Amino acid sequence: MPWKQGYTISDEVGLRDADVRWPDGNRCCFTVVVDMSVARGPEGISAADLMHPDAYFAAHDGLDQVLAVFKHFGIRATFAVPAVIAQLRAERLRMVMAEGHEIAGNGLKHEDVSGLGAADEKARLDLATDILTRTIGRRPAGWFCLPRQDDPFAGGTISPHTIDLLIDAGYQYMGNGLADDVPHYWVTDFASRRAMLTLPYYYHFDDQWFLLFPRKGTGLEHADDLFRNWRAEFNAQYKRGRQFSMVLHPGAIGWCNRLQLLEDFFAYVRTFPGVWNPTSEECARYWQVTYPTDKTLKLEPSVWRDYPGSLS
Amino acid sequence: MTSQLEQEVADLCATAERYDARHRRIADLTWPDGARIAVNFTADFDAMLLRRLLNEPPMQLAKGEFGGRVGIWRLIELFDAHGIKATIFTPGRICELYPQALRAVARSGHEIADHMWEHHVPKDPAQERDHLLKTANALEAIAGRRPVGSRSEHTLGLLKQERFLYISHESADHRPYYLSDPDGRNTMLNLPFHYAIDDAMFYSFAWLGSGNAAQRITDPDRVFDLWWAAFWQQYRAGGYLNIVVHPFVSGRALRIEMMDRLITRMKTLPGVWFPTCEEVATHCLDRFPI
Repeated sequence: MPWKQGYTISDEVGLRDADVRWPDGNRCCFTVVVDMSVARGPEGISAADLMHPDAYFAAHDGLDQVLAVFKHFGIRATFAVPAVIAQLRAERLRMVMAEGHEIAGNGLKHEDVSGLGAADEKARLDLATDILTRTIGRRPAGWFCLPRQDDPFAGGTISPHTIDLLIDAGYQYMGNGLADDVPHYWVTDFASRRAMLTLPYYYHFDDQWFLLFPRKGTGLEHADDLFRNWRAEFNAQYKRGRQFSMVLHPGAIGWCNRLQLLEDFFAYVRTFPGVWNPTSEECARYWQVTYPTDKTLKLEPSVWRDYPGSLS
Repeated sequence: MTSQLEQEVADLCATAERYDARHRRIADLTWPDGARIAVNFTADFDAMLLRRLLNEPPMQLAKGEFGGRVGIWRLIELFDAHGIKATIFTPGRICELYPQALRAVARSGHEIADHMWEHHVPKDPAQERDHLLKTANALEAIAGRRPVGSRSEHTLGLLKQERFLYISHESADHRPYYLSDPDGRNTMLNLPFHYAIDDAMFYSFAWLGSGNAAQRITDPDRVFDLWWAAFWQQYRAGGYLNIVVHPFVSGRALRIEMMDRLITRMKTLPGVWFPTCEEVATHCLDRFPI
């Protein structure tokens, strides 16, 4: 960059439009993430969250509806699954996999790990990885740290250890980063260039902030804004030849009026040629081969100077 | 009792009169070459710096980082494609984080102006001066000239001493106006901006500490309509519009496309002037001095 520890996670200039290429001459990458968590807030999935009609709907009718729409439009998605949900809904997830979708991690209980010690966080990551591995019959390639509706910010939460722990655990990608709108590298150590591939996320394309947010019953329903955001971003990214990435919650988007907008959006996207729709894992694998860190990541040493009375 | 109430009323009036007296409107403002409206595009190039100052968590910093790695470059491309010279209000520290982008800003002829050293103004006068000089030196090293404008709450006396021409941070009038400091000793031109013409208000989650129930995040079509209405009203009034964007917010592809449509539509009308803030300030100071 100039690198600055604690400020920046990647290099100074992102990849320009002209340098972004997709396989087979495709023009734009289109990724869909389904968040299977039903956690309301930072503490992660609670008994109360599971004893709620929304949780039942998310795992049954809502999921069925979303899968049917995916099948109709030939959409492939990555399901970000908290381990507790993987254990609880193993049969449902095997059905999801059978339809060609990917299963990735999304916390043990989708809890906020930002205040945990490294050992505690590692224990949770290891257990979650074991449960997911048992459920899907292989180690998951991806890990998500998605936000919850009651979080104070809409970007997801990590600790200072998370990315290193994910690299150590053999994960291939982290699924939700905000520093670019194509895949990019999250650097954890400047000297060694230790880095993790990170896929783009932006909350304006995540249904949970627009559908009875912040709370069912009194929140605001802006499904139309969400639809216009999707359409505007897809149009713009298609023109630039970059990536469109959306996040869906079956408990929210699976309800009829919203489902109709999802169908309308997929029908719109289908009218465009050259749209590549990989799972997140396929997207990550392509990126790591085509844009490896040694050729892509351009890190410059820090030029930051510390002064009395200034931020360090 | 009555006299006490009368005194309260009188005190309130006196307070308001002192405050009012700090403002001097430019009633007969006109623009060069018969232009109907001056439109300033201004970008506050904070990237992750304000998020860091507020000790926000890592994902919030990454959200800001988008502005430095991606968003600022798209804004430069957008303004250059339209032949518009914008003003980039830049914290001094950004020179240590995104020097390549700032050099590109300068190469394209956009104005680089002060936006504080680290997005805050220290209360201690010596430290305040130190921050302003650090910023001016850092910006000068990149742009080749010292900044003449500031979007900050730096004291006017200090800004005048350092030969700044204008500030841009309040909206006591639609049009540029003169603002004096509380003791009336220093006066400076202010180029007003309004929070309703600020991208972060509509797009940035948790903006200025707003809680979840106060989010109004919305789509670019709605903001297009709001900003077009603002432009159209001021166009007919022969006025001024300052559109505030943030590279980490409006640098997102869907919003660059929206601004492209907005500028394209503005340019269909005759007499729309797209100067830098410095050009507006110089015009006002020359033709409509206090």
